[in-house]
Amino acid sequence: MIYLDNAATTKPNENAIKQAEKYLFENFYNPSAMYKEGHEVQSELKTARLNLLSCVANESDFEVVFTSCGTESDNQAIFSFARRGNAVTTEGEHSAVYASFLELKNKGIAQPRFAPLLSDGRVDVEKLVQLVDEKTSFVSVIHVNNETGAINDVNEIAKLVKKKNPRVIFHSDGVQAFGKIPFRLCKEIDLYSVSAHKIGGLKGVGALIKRKSLTLPPYIFGGGQENGRRSGTENVFGIMQFVSATKEKFLTLKEDFNRLAEYKKFLIDGLDKSVYTVLSGENSTPYITSISAVGLRGEILLHILNDKGLIVGTGSACSSNSKNRFSRVILACGIDEKTADGVIRISFSSQTTKEETEKALTLLNECGRELKARMS
Amino acid sequence: MKKVIIIRYAELFLKGKNRGFFERAFEVNIKRALKDVDHELIRQSGRYLVVGFDEELIEEILERLKKVFGIHTMSVAYETEANMDSIFATAKLVCKTTGSFKVVSHRGDKKFPLTSIEISRELGGRLLSVYHDLTVDVHEPSFTVYVDIREGGKALVFGEMIEGANGMPVGTAGRGLLLISGGIDSPVAGHMMAKRGMTLDCLHFHSYPYTNMQAKEKVVDLATTLAKYSCGTNLYTVSVTHIQEEIHKKCRPELMITLLRRFMFRIAERHALQISAQCLITGESLGQVASQTIEGMTSSNSVVEKLPVLRPLVGFDKNEIIERSVKIGTYETSILPYEDCCTVFLPDFPAIRPKIKDILAEEKKLDVEGLIKTAFESMEKIEL
Repeated sequence: MIYLDNAATTKPNENAIKQAEKYLFENFYNPSAMYKEGHEVQSELKTARLNLLSCVANESDFEVVFTSCGTESDNQAIFSFARRGNAVTTEGEHSAVYASFLELKNKGIAQPRFAPLLSDGRVDVEKLVQLVDEKTSFVSVIHVNNETGAINDVNEIAKLVKKKNPRVIFHSDGVQAFGKIPFRLCKEIDLYSVSAHKIGGLKGVGALIKRKSLTLPPYIFGGGQENGRRSGTENVFGIMQFVSATKEKFLTLKEDFNRLAEYKKFLIDGLDKSVYTVLSGENSTPYITSISAVGLRGEILLHILNDKGLIVGTGSACSSNSKNRFSRVILACGIDEKTADGVIRISFSSQTTKEETEKALTLLNECGRELKARMS
Repeated sequence: MKKVIIIRYAELFLKGKNRGFFERAFEVNIKRALKDVDHELIRQSGRYLVVGFDEELIEEILERLKKVFGIHTMSVAYETEANMDSIFATAKLVCKTTGSFKVVSHRGDKKFPLTSIEISRELGGRLLSVYHDLTVDVHEPSFTVYVDIREGGKALVFGEMIEGANGMPVGTAGRGLLLISGGIDSPVAGHMMAKRGMTLDCLHFHSYPYTNMQAKEKVVDLATTLAKYSCGTNLYTVSVTHIQEEIHKKCRPELMITLLRRFMFRIAERHALQISAQCLITGESLGQVASQTIEGMTSSNSVVEKLPVLRPLVGFDKNEIIERSVKIGTYETSILPYEDCCTVFLPDFPAIRPKIKDILAEEKKLDVEGLIKTAFESMEKIEL
């Protein structure tokens, strides 16, 4: 089976699991405990925290709060800081951010504003900045979109936003970017969400990277772990495995980036254009390629490919026959429903090989042509 | 103090000489519902007692018994010594402290020194002496305290009557094959037939890869819920993908559903005969959708040669069906948004009154037998 749905989740890094194994059976102690074994785990967590941070940010300006997933990180950022006035985000957010913004409105906390997308899936920066005014308390812009792969230059956007209103708290969902594209946080970014299982970590671990000078009100209350910002006993094994996987990922980040960019080009060039249209633009991550079998339905193609040994994702929800099945993000790029219905997402990991890409391309072309013939 | 559950029959009394047959099925069904719970089932005249169970599980046991057809009412009773002091002490546990009440007594053990009327009078008097806000109303009391003197020096005391599922024991009215989709109607239709004592098998048509695993899982979940009422079921799944594709390629689009349904009914009848089912059951309701007009039903019926097609919901409004669906616990699953097999090739304007002449002309373009044979090759069976 060839697995090319790595934007959904990646296979856990076995090497990182081995490295973290001692935190399962040997150093299993509660890091908040007073005895020296507990304290030892606490101090190892501290080192891990710094190791993670050093990959994307300056240690003197930023710090890490571990969470249970990217969605929790996004929610903590939004509900901690979008407390008044209006909050600005994009039409291209993952639902972790998008649904939270809608909730801000439902709860009467802040008025959400959504900036439109360009046809390649990036946010229209000019229009986003126009939405920011003196009453804006919070801005969130996704770094790499999980469906189109479009990369937003969040450092640049943060600078423009802060220039217009320096009091805004700027957040970015970096779940599909962290460990995958070359990037370091600039000082204008206040909060950055990451997730373990998109880069060989385990499900159930995430982090919110925050600017040190920012006081983060707790979202989950309890025993005061994570300096009172996120209570709940730390998932020590998960965190240690995440940090090991992260370190490994960053070692080959540029090499993987360039290699996968070649695979992506090979894939796009080789697709049968009588069946497929490519949706991912020039400014998209090499890890994600969004295509559409126009006039067919992505989910049906997904099943056929699945039966032939290729796992991919779809842009459309596997749900009803109604308009709700179309991806909100794909439609926001100005793509028509017929094209949106045929969307398939192919997403690589650093483990993806050229051979797998070649086989995947053959299957995509064969199965796409087969389905087209069956449905015509 | 030990608790027992009293189970009273529904219509079983009506069945005269066949009563033994109905009671055996009834007992089997109760035991099946409680198969992983330690208990003993005791048959008494006109009722059953469930005894010897872990009292922590009493709510779970009652929930399961509420799904057994043939049960009219149930009561949770306290078992106590058959003397008036013990009966009074126990009655205080089931008696409310305010409102109107009466005591109904039954003396199974004729050696008990008081008659039924005397027991009721004595117990009522004692309860009135301790609960001063109680009043007696023998005609329309707000609640009743029941006393049942049994042989062996024991008495049962209880208050509440819990409504059972009523109907007839499953296994006493033949076998039917339910055509089950992922929708609201067909599980309700199956439930209604099971309530009349019919054993159910289920047949589901899918269109993988045009439908997904979740759609199939949904049908498995619906059939699993239904199986709790029907004392188990077998779910058969059949792919009609190739039939839809062939109709799509060769026939007039507005007749897609009509033609497909005729295939489904043909497959269903042949399968029903193979598994000795005596009828087909569908969730159709007159006029609900384009294929459920009288013309649509006539068109489907005309390919079924040997068996009756039962449509228990034919005269129901959608709201009535939904109400039943909520009550039997299938509604939440039925409304999950996964497509079942009919929607992918759905024409924009399906024929509402298909003419048999047109249908036959379109069917001539298809290898009907070959397509049915291929469908049977895809059949899978899930025992629930």
